[in-house]
Amino acid sequence: MILNDVAPVWIRICLILVLVSGGFLLSSRSLKNLVRTYQFQSFLLVLIALGLVVLEEHTILLLVAALTVVSKVWGIPACIRLIQERIHIQQDLKFSYLRPPGALMLSILIILLVYITFAQILEKLYAASSLFFLGSVIGVSLVLMGLLAVCIRRMAISKVIGYLSMENGVLAFGLFVTELPFFIEFVIVIDLIILVLLTSIMTVGIDSSIEEYKSRLEEFHLLSEEGGIA
Amino acid sequence: MIGESFIFALLNVAFVLVISPFFMMVIKKVKARVQGRQGPHLLQGYYNLAKLFRKETLYSEYAGCISRIAPYAALSILLVAAIMVPLFWIPEQELVTANIIVFLYLLVAGRLLIALLGLDAASTFGGMGSSREMSLSAIIEPVTVVVFAALVYVTGSFSIHDIFRTATTIFPAYNPTVLLLSVPLFILIIVETGRVPVDNPETHLELTMVHEGMLLDTSGRNLALFELSHAVKQTLLMAILLNIIVPAGIALELSVGALILGGVLFLLKGTVLCVIIGLFESAYAKMRFFQIPNLFMIAFFFSILTIFIEVML
Repeated sequence: MILNDVAPVWIRICLILVLVSGGFLLSSRSLKNLVRTYQFQSFLLVLIALGLVVLEEHTILLLVAALTVVSKVWGIPACIRLIQERIHIQQDLKFSYLRPPGALMLSILIILLVYITFAQILEKLYAASSLFFLGSVIGVSLVLMGLLAVCIRRMAISKVIGYLSMENGVLAFGLFVTELPFFIEFVIVIDLIILVLLTSIMTVGIDSSIEEYKSRLEEFHLLSEEGGIA
Repeated sequence: MIGESFIFALLNVAFVLVISPFFMMVIKKVKARVQGRQGPHLLQGYYNLAKLFRKETLYSEYAGCISRIAPYAALSILLVAAIMVPLFWIPEQELVTANIIVFLYLLVAGRLLIALLGLDAASTFGGMGSSREMSLSAIIEPVTVVVFAALVYVTGSFSIHDIFRTATTIFPAYNPTVLLLSVPLFILIIVETGRVPVDNPETHLELTMVHEGMLLDTSGRNLALFELSHAVKQTLLMAILLNIIVPAGIALELSVGALILGGVLFLLKGTVLCVIIGLFESAYAKMRFFQIPNLFMIAFFFSILTIFIEVML
């Protein structure tokens, strides 16, 4: 009984912290902090999933929580840290299109836009449960904020964290609105993209930006004479 | 009722004046300890003030009436503001309207006086400090307004007394928006009191100083008054944060026991907050001038987020 009362409050706090971490991913310049924030964000999603287990009694969510702990709280951050140790880069100071203050302003507009749109689309959900409505708004906002991070960051490793944050947004949205099999499918697709991106960056040089990628390929003699990848 | 309000005003102002230098020293002590130094004695702030009050006040040959009036006016303004912000006791009736917008105007008035003082002595550093202060002020003021707007939106009142009274009924851990508000309020303390990473109150390096630049030509009693006003301003802003996030112990009725408990608890909470500020200052380097808006933007982001979340919930 007590758990049932505490769970909604707990979920609300975690959801807000998820959004805060999204803002931090847009503004932080330290690569270490970026990874830590992503790890924290993933951990919050685990707590949200556990809160939903109490509320909804869907035991499959326990599996989702366990999977998230293994992959996003432990596995992926450990992998990125390993890469960071090798490349000896502490800061990401390169931005395209927008600087962090502008990105934060834009993210405020994004949240507002998502809220207004969802208030129309998910009118019934809003009437039924403000918590699930909040979860869906924050989930989609996080996806768009992750996308924004991908767009404004120039260093490849920061872009990867943007992608990972997008995936966390999908997970948050999936937890509150969509059916589970659909969201698992979607997450796997995004995971594959991240995997490919990570692997290719690791092969060629993680410290380069996407724009510098071709020159880096040439440097490592990975371009054929016709211009394709050898 | 009126008698109670007068007692409140006297106690609150006296308490602010007494504890403010102590809080300043706690921050200095924490910073020193982090740097591996012994640091000043916790009562050093009082000794410094006593010393400055005894010293002769010198004025620049170009100084006008502003240099003579500003120290007293700045402290008076902040003491009026101190009547608006209950530290350890919320009386049933307000002696002066504790409107949060009036409080903001008082802070701005104090800032304007110090900026005028910087210009009045006609020194290069003073002018530079005033120029920087006003540039920062132009950016931080809209953010401050939004932070307080979020506060008003969450608590549903413009009166600081009512805001604190509402906070006592909210358990912060159960109200995420109140927790969220703590971040912009903390940033506001850092910015308004000119602390690292915005300004460094302990340096007189011409390239970086903002607040100290304006006070460079001030001496003796006037400097003591400014030091005290600065400390009072910090305590008032800290009180706003503390009495919203951790309102436990604040007295709601006039009784000796409740007042002592409220005072002691505020002192403890304030000391903890000072330790956090000291650690925060030690963890960050001073920001480049044109990067300071980034910090303001974070405060703005959190305040807007607070309003959004309050609307959505």
